[in-house]
Amino acid sequence: MDIANQSGLWTKLKLAKPTRLQQEARIGLLFLAPWLIGFVLLKALPILAALVFSLTDFKMLSPETTKFIGLENYIRFFRDSEAGASLLGSLEYFLLTVPLEMVVALALAAIFTSERLKNKRISQTLIFMTSIIPSTSIFFIFLGSLQYAERLIFTPLNLPPIEGFDLLLPFMALWSIGPGFLIMYSAMQSVSREIYEAARVDGAGRIARFVYITLPMISPAIFFTLVINLTGAFGGAVLLDRGYILNFSLSPMEGYINATMFLDADLGYASALAWVTFAVMMALTVFLFRSAKHWVYFPEEDEQNEI
Amino acid sequence: MKFSRNPPHKSDSSRLTLRVWDFTGTAMLNLFMFLFIVAYLSPLAFMVIASFTPRDQFLNPNAPILPSERVKFPYEGKNLIVYQVPTEDGIKNWALYKPARRSSQFIDPQNPEAGPILWEGQWRTLQPIYRFKPTLDNFRDFLAIAKLPLYFKNTLIVALISEIGLLFSSIAVAYGFSRFRIPGGKYLFLLLIATIMIPSNITLVPTYYLFSGHMLNWIGTWLPLIVPHFFGSAILIFLLRQNFKSIPPDLDEAAMLDGAGPLRILISVILPQSIPVVTTVALLHFFYIWNETRLSALYLGIRPDLQLISFAVQRNQSYFFTPEALMVGALLVMIVPVIVLFLSQRFFMQDMIVTQIEK
Repeated sequence: MDIANQSGLWTKLKLAKPTRLQQEARIGLLFLAPWLIGFVLLKALPILAALVFSLTDFKMLSPETTKFIGLENYIRFFRDSEAGASLLGSLEYFLLTVPLEMVVALALAAIFTSERLKNKRISQTLIFMTSIIPSTSIFFIFLGSLQYAERLIFTPLNLPPIEGFDLLLPFMALWSIGPGFLIMYSAMQSVSREIYEAARVDGAGRIARFVYITLPMISPAIFFTLVINLTGAFGGAVLLDRGYILNFSLSPMEGYINATMFLDADLGYASALAWVTFAVMMALTVFLFRSAKHWVYFPEEDEQNEI
Repeated sequence: MKFSRNPPHKSDSSRLTLRVWDFTGTAMLNLFMFLFIVAYLSPLAFMVIASFTPRDQFLNPNAPILPSERVKFPYEGKNLIVYQVPTEDGIKNWALYKPARRSSQFIDPQNPEAGPILWEGQWRTLQPIYRFKPTLDNFRDFLAIAKLPLYFKNTLIVALISEIGLLFSSIAVAYGFSRFRIPGGKYLFLLLIATIMIPSNITLVPTYYLFSGHMLNWIGTWLPLIVPHFFGSAILIFLLRQNFKSIPPDLDEAAMLDGAGPLRILISVILPQSIPVVTTVALLHFFYIWNETRLSALYLGIRPDLQLISFAVQRNQSYFFTPEALMVGALLVMIVPVIVLFLSQRFFMQDMIVTQIEK
């Protein structure tokens, strides 16, 4: 409700005549029209269609033989051990990469707040830069680095050879910290100096100040980063989209759905799998938002005009 | 964080110690950051090195890391390879003249007139001598096969057309969300945010079916990559809307009293104050199209002449290229976004984040 109240300029001037209010809403809706139409055509209808597809044995190559098979696709999912493993693999991917990404981003942001650090702007750009490199390049860069790492580090130190793709995930995670790092850094900069000063006078050390002041104060930024990472891990929209590595799927569930869709051309089952993923992701998101009450700090004045 | 400098009531000597510590700490911190960035970006250095490395050297564990070539010595019209040969007088750099299994003949490049020298031993165990020499062969090989100008042109056309549609509709929608009182507007906005989180997989099957030969027959054209952007992008609308909201409404009011309509206000009041964020949004979309591989794979797989750059390079890799040429591909594909980032860094990173955090 506050969306309009805050700006409120149309209201303030024209509230006298209710028809004006209607007119304002009409003009507003006109501006929203592109998105509303797109939402219906490209989001809402396809999602519903996917739900309908998931209840049929729809095959790409023979759409005319499609028939309604009820929940069979979902039952098949629970019997399909490969699908279960893929879903767990995707969760594992989220659980492995996100903490790594967040901790490194947080540590870097903390170092960046130090006034002793020089050349911040260029360092910031260099750290951010890796987050916009297309996945097409990342894949080859990774393979090349493995080759050099083998020669420069592993062979001279007599370490066992590297298991190639095991390192790809942590590597991609470390090279994706850009947005998270910037979000946390700008959050840290906006924490008021006086609070730190007060804590210092009370005898709080460097670490205590970080744990008891910085972390709670930037918890909204941490929460936000977590949400965008979750969204990204399950195939939602991200601000900086690198694109896909075509012959190597980072998220196993996504790879499995793609294989079902394009290799088996089994659109019915693929839709069911996509719906299961969607449901799991929604459950995780709801859980994350519920948990936010307990650990995310929302300043009082923000509660009223939260969105 | 500027803490605990110059605590009160300290003697002069301890203040000096403190200053030494201060200096050491600053030096250590900056050194640490420098080393971190060097390590963090080292894969890029490897990529550049590999791009200039001659063929076969990259995978050869005995060759040096830096791009180099074997040192050769011209003798009797032939180019002889120079090896490190252990002799009684220490290691000599001799050119291999007549290789044989047990003993071989070498030429001393310093004294070629002396003629061939016989050396007992297996020449295959000898180390060749390398000299630093980057090569452009990989670039030539890569560009000969990958039609980079074509992919570049395709990417730019798709980016430009979809950019126009995206900016028009996203700006309009963001304006609608930020300045108008609409019944249920709050719920519409929540819906907008929710759509950001919808996994692309779930809409993929039906939209693929919609674009396929069964309905619209858009496969093998750019339309599936362009048209959806004309309906705006939820995440970019969100970014723009947050920014529009931070513009004080006083100016709109003044303009409205002067008789300006909503569209006039958007164009002459809101947009001039939002140039950085609009540019940021435009750049984010450009990066998206530049990196786009998934839709290209779905809809353009059968039309090599229409493919966009990331997908085309990634697709070609498996059949044509040597590892060194792949590195050239990686370098050429990433260089454009990186240059764009450096040119726009002043506001790009800031506008992407600061507005987001207000959620």
